[in-house]
Amino acid sequence: MKARFFLWLLLVLSSTVAAGPPVIEIEIKDHLFYPDEVRIPADTKVKLLVKNLDPTAEEFESYELNREKVIAGNSEVIIFIGPLSAGEYPFFGEFFPKTAQGRVIVE
Amino acid sequence: MKSIRLFLLLALLATITLVNFVALLHGYQSSMEKAQSLFDSRLESTARLIAAANSENAVQQTIAEQQTPYTYFQIWDSGGKQLLTRSRNAPELMPGELSEGFHEINHASYRWRNFIYRDQHLNRWIVVAERSDVRYSLAEEVVLESLLPIVLAIPVAALIIWLAVGVGLKPLRQFADQVRHKRVDDLSPITLEHVPHELTSVVSNTNALLGRLEDAFQREQRFASDAAHELRTPISVLKVHLHNLRKRLGDEDEDISLLKTGIERMGHLIEQILALYRSSPDQASVQFEHVDLTKLAQQVIADEFMTIEQKQQHISLEGETAMIEGNRFALETLLHNLLSNAHKYSPSGSDIRVSVAQKAHRVELTVEDSGPGIPASEYERVFERFYRLQGDRHDSGELGCGLGLTIVKHIADLHQADIQLGTSSIGQGLSVKIIFQQEEPH
Amino acid sequence: MLLNAVIIILREVLEAALIVSVFLALSQLLNRKLWWMLIAMVMGFAGAYVYAINLSQISMALEGTGQEVLNASLHSLIFICLLIFMISVPHQARPGWRRLNLFTIVLAVIIAIVREGSEIILYIKGFYGIPELLHPVLIGGAVGAGIGLSVGVFFYYLLVNMHKRSGIWLGYLMLLLVGGSMIAQAVEFMIQADYISASAPLWDSSHLVSERSAIGQLLYALLGYEATPAPQQAAAYFGSIALLVIAACVSFFFRSKSS
Repeated sequence: MKARFFLWLLLVLSSTVAAGPPVIEIEIKDHLFYPDEVRIPADTKVKLLVKNLDPTAEEFESYELNREKVIAGNSEVIIFIGPLSAGEYPFFGEFFPKTAQGRVIVE
Repeated sequence: MKSIRLFLLLALLATITLVNFVALLHGYQSSMEKAQSLFDSRLESTARLIAAANSENAVQQTIAEQQTPYTYFQIWDSGGKQLLTRSRNAPELMPGELSEGFHEINHASYRWRNFIYRDQHLNRWIVVAERSDVRYSLAEEVVLESLLPIVLAIPVAALIIWLAVGVGLKPLRQFADQVRHKRVDDLSPITLEHVPHELTSVVSNTNALLGRLEDAFQREQRFASDAAHELRTPISVLKVHLHNLRKRLGDEDEDISLLKTGIERMGHLIEQILALYRSSPDQASVQFEHVDLTKLAQQVIADEFMTIEQKQQHISLEGETAMIEGNRFALETLLHNLLSNAHKYSPSGSDIRVSVAQKAHRVELTVEDSGPGIPASEYERVFERFYRLQGDRHDSGELGCGLGLTIVKHIADLHQADIQLGTSSIGQGLSVKIIFQQEEPH
Repeated sequence: MLLNAVIIILREVLEAALIVSVFLALSQLLNRKLWWMLIAMVMGFAGAYVYAINLSQISMALEGTGQEVLNASLHSLIFICLLIFMISVPHQARPGWRRLNLFTIVLAVIIAIVREGSEIILYIKGFYGIPELLHPVLIGGAVGAGIGLSVGVFFYYLLVNMHKRSGIWLGYLMLLLVGGSMIAQAVEFMIQADYISASAPLWDSSHLVSERSAIGQLLYALLGYEATPAPQQAAAYFGSIALLVIAACVSFFFRSKSS
């Protein structure tokens, strides 16, 4: 009985974990995105974990994704994107747009 | 709009800023695009140049002599598996996919723009890259140089606009000043040094209006004083006839004494109307002179002394020489009216106190009586024309037409003096204080 | 760096300047004292500073969605202020309503400045340690602020110098657009924070007017333009404008009846 309950609990836990959207990590260093190209599957919600390793603030912005979020220096934020149809979605750091550029490729 | 000057300043500054900066932004953007395509074609030709110069298709040493830290190149074999040669600062990794054209990548903490060129002849890939930020810095420098003067010029422009608008509005300010500083009785035309086109009709219309107003005032004054003057003669005739009638019929006849009161009242009314028009503040033809108010008060008291004595009232005057600018006749009327009010509305045997006090830049004339006084709620109304306290049921039984204090007010206004009503220091009678401003000694 | 600074500061200043100038003009047209606006601006900048220095804590709150939730709340609050403002205007004669009306104006101006000002402060603060970049950023910022404030000044004088009736109407219209854009942005933040799940964009007008272009930016500031809005955003935008109109009409109707 106890074992069954434990198994059930494990199932529930694993299912909640599995139900959460996949996490993709992006780092900002020297006002550059690493990686600068993110590939995600179509029609899936994805959680971007953006870590700003620079002391300066940055704003993650994308007109195509309709996202904007300020990231203070040396901190991290979470941004949900999708579900999206296949295509290319550029994003950039609004505070350093000449260098901080990247794109999400949905396939 | 609170101030034309402020409005013009802000509107013009906003226009200058907007136009300048929008033009500058546009110029910056288009020159950036131009520069970008120029840089790109240079990158492309560099790739071809490297392809032509490196004719050997074998693995070589890293080329140690670095031209600039802002560019690098790589040469890959056909499959993109082996790096044949590269400049010293180039990465050893592949820049993403090998496909011909321009790409942007991250390398060594910078963003690089690279051109990948497929060398058909030797079947290999040539990658040439240039740091993106270097491209922008040149264009940015140029714009900064042209921008700085504009940013610095804006406060200067603001100052110049402020002054220029001030000069431009000078005729308007002069016009406003002249209108504001006009004495109430001055209906002479307004003259400006230079009348700008925009103000010509305003100035000429105002002057025409002033002229018409002056004519109207003169007509009204002439009419009123002529009418009153004309009425004086028949009143005098009536008085003579009344005198004759009394001689014939004797003094005891009640009708005759009623007739006498009536004629006296009419005569008083006409005198007061005459005084009212002469003292009206709109009066254009009032002559001002130096008047010693104390001396004038003395003279008026002497005139009124007999009447005051009849009621056994006691009158006193205190004060030293106090010179003001005023019209002698009007001030006389003012004193007469104040004294006769005090006399009429105070009981027999009461006190009347007149004082003239010289204060800093002003002279205060106070007339106090020990009569019943006026309730404070009535202070405003007593200056209205033909207003009498308690209406027609005035219990003093005194002859009056309700014009006395109106005339006092007119004369005070004419002299730009203030009137304060209050309770007198003797008993609870009325105190009338008139404050004349003295012009500062020049 | 320079052009970039111009555009960032311009975007933020333009949005705040439009809201502030419309309210300033309406206050002038409705015979309100203007020094309240000065107080509101000072309080707004103080609030913006507090927001900026606490940004990382705010971001990490609520499982990393604190920033979105706070921004959505600020935008919604501005919308609520507009709603109460619209309702209270027809009842000017009563002192209680009048105070409420003034309060909504002041609060909306404070929040607008907190929201836009915090990004400006964060942006500029980042360059303090980098003197070679600080110079162009400050110049660019001055240019951007200059353009944004100039547009604000223009709007203010346009509204104030118009025929009083049409000035009030245009001011109202702009407030409606601001209200719609506020709610649309609030919904966008809720989508971003995954409180509302997104659906495919309702339309894509990026080939007509790109959000990157100057016109796109201006339309964004004026109308809350989006090239690829989610259906929920569009619904919120038009729904909130309709709500403002209905509320204003109902309030006006009751005033006519009671007086």
